[in-house]
Amino acid sequence: MTVHRRYCQDSPDAIASCALDDMVLLYHRSSGQTHMVISPVPEILATLDDGAAWTAGEVLGQLARLYDLGAAEEALPQVEAHLVELTALGLVRIA
Amino acid sequence: MTALLLVRALRDPDCVAALDARGWNSLIAMARAERLIGTLALRIGERPVPGAVRAILTDARADAEREARQALWEADRAAEALAGLGLPVVLLKGTAYAAAGLSAGQGRFIGDLDILVPRAALTEVEHALIRAGWEWVKDDPYDDAYYRQWMHELPPMIHAGRDRMIDVHHTVLPLTARQTPDAAAMIADALPITNELYMLCPEDRVCHAAAHLLADGDLAGGLRNLWDIYCLLDGIDPAALSVRAERHGLGRHVRQAQRLAAALYGEGARLTLWDRIVAARLLARDGWGRERRKLLGFAFYVRSHWLRMPPAMLARHLMTKWRKGHRPV
Amino acid sequence: MNHGLSLKIGPATFRIGSAWRQPVEALARLYADYPAPADGIADFTVRLEPAGPFRRWLRPSIFITGDHGLADAAPMSLAHGLLAAEMGMNLQMALGWRRHLLLHASSVEKGGRALVMTGESGSGKSTLAAQLGERGWRLMGDEFALLDLETGAIFPFPRLVSLKNRAIDVLAAEAPAGRMGPLLAGTAKGDIRHLLPRSDAVERMNEGALPALLLFPRFGHESDVRPVGQGEMFMRLTQASTNYVALGEPGFAALTRFVKTVPARAIDFPSGEEAIALVDRLWAEWA
Repeated sequence: MTVHRRYCQDSPDAIASCALDDMVLLYHRSSGQTHMVISPVPEILATLDDGAAWTAGEVLGQLARLYDLGAAEEALPQVEAHLVELTALGLVRIA
Repeated sequence: MTALLLVRALRDPDCVAALDARGWNSLIAMARAERLIGTLALRIGERPVPGAVRAILTDARADAEREARQALWEADRAAEALAGLGLPVVLLKGTAYAAAGLSAGQGRFIGDLDILVPRAALTEVEHALIRAGWEWVKDDPYDDAYYRQWMHELPPMIHAGRDRMIDVHHTVLPLTARQTPDAAAMIADALPITNELYMLCPEDRVCHAAAHLLADGDLAGGLRNLWDIYCLLDGIDPAALSVRAERHGLGRHVRQAQRLAAALYGEGARLTLWDRIVAARLLARDGWGRERRKLLGFAFYVRSHWLRMPPAMLARHLMTKWRKGHRPV
Repeated sequence: MNHGLSLKIGPATFRIGSAWRQPVEALARLYADYPAPADGIADFTVRLEPAGPFRRWLRPSIFITGDHGLADAAPMSLAHGLLAAEMGMNLQMALGWRRHLLLHASSVEKGGRALVMTGESGSGKSTLAAQLGERGWRLMGDEFALLDLETGAIFPFPRLVSLKNRAIDVLAAEAPAGRMGPLLAGTAKGDIRHLLPRSDAVERMNEGALPALLLFPRFGHESDVRPVGQGEMFMRLTQASTNYVALGEPGFAALTRFVKTVPARAIDFPSGEEAIALVDRLWAEWA
């Protein structure tokens, strides 16, 4: 399990984002790739915006204060999976 | 008309002031064909040019900037994929020049990502790249066997998500070539660019570029490679270069590259007959961007394979290629 | 090269060289009213070359290339030389144009505002634009719409309209014979005939217009109109653009602005007349 792995954003101005009526577009400046994402991905990225290194549990704790995410035991693996996916895309780095 | 027009513009950008419309059209077509348009745009810089030319050069500079950004991202991704292996990942060619901010990288067209890794680590590297999303470009058993048995690199791989190619080299010339550069020494003496990424030392950069231009290729698009060499030679110690080139068995090629770079882009040099033939081949480009002297091109195609392979093997390779309808361009 | 011609289409200029006289003559006739590049310097070089040794004379066969080319492009018969020249120019635009976001779309203008139509080949976007261009709209282009990166305006690329198969008769019934090119029978895409746009399209080739409506037409279905979400719109437009990736962030900014400000509808229609009625209705509603 990778519960204690810490994640941070790629760099402070790595991404330009644009909210459309049914999804959010992310333009990743260093790769030149555009990603189409839906909740909770934009919210997870917004949490990392402060530049600090977060564990999946800490990200979930922060999100739970703002949104209703259901039971933590179900939500945590989902948040972790999103972070792993974002890391593979290079939008998030392992701290 | 030959590509001397392009060579002069790179050597002395002030001379473009004298160009008429026909001259500009020719220069732009040649520079695009030789993949030197970005370099030309940076060399011309803010010198006054006609409005139509300004727009073309501005586009070329923006393209080159994007190329460099994407190349650096590919290098970053490869470094990340290979981070667990504890290996030096040595960037080669354009990506290395861009990552290190060398003059050879300014405006340079950068295609695939080329990296050099120790031969013993090839299998590990291959597996790590596949885990990170790269895959084989073609499933041709003959080509695959050819690469693995005789070449200096793995068969090319492409990243499925980003559509970008990587060439993984374990030495800088095919195993069939008569010169056998000391790849282990190149890796041992490589210099760090970032925490994970390395580049060859200055002398090895010249040796590699010369090997690539003169011992490996059919010289197609060679003006760009020669421009690289011209830039890489800047500030280098000739004695140290000579020692290093001999060690790699590339002394003759490096000396020829020095003469050609000086003759075309620099202060001039005394050329041998063979130098002149190579220079004619490098300059064989007309004002429409077409390659001229097709026979000379074919001779170099055969020669480049002959340099790399014993004749019987070459015959077998050409037959296999030709049966599939492959012809030199 | 033995034969050559330079011309300007919208913001782009071309220098076309050919090993044969015929393609250049056909171009010169149809593009007679188009301007030459202002200072004689072209953005792109197009070359129509013999597809192999001796193929200039023996079963003449054209290889289309230029500043930008595709190594595996299929050679074309000299009888289709005009089409080859058109394809050569399209190839340069698709692979090399950087001054606008290039959308594979047709566009027409009325009252200073543009209608943009995008879809696969066979969707009817090209025929529909050509018909509208004969009926009071200004034809901006049947193949490429150029989205300005700074202002968000659509700029024209009013090359010859390429009419295929059934569309040939439809437009031949509306446009005078003098604006129709020769019939090119049996090309890879069937029969093709080129249509010279009306003179206003040529005279106003430098004039852009802000986009007011985006349509995704589909020919050959019962009449229908469906809204298209912004996400789908964005995705389909990136697929319809050959230079979205190459433009980087300015392309992203221009396309997101387009998607957020221009209403979009998918329309199905069984015939040209019904398509035109649909367009008139939606234009009245949205523009």
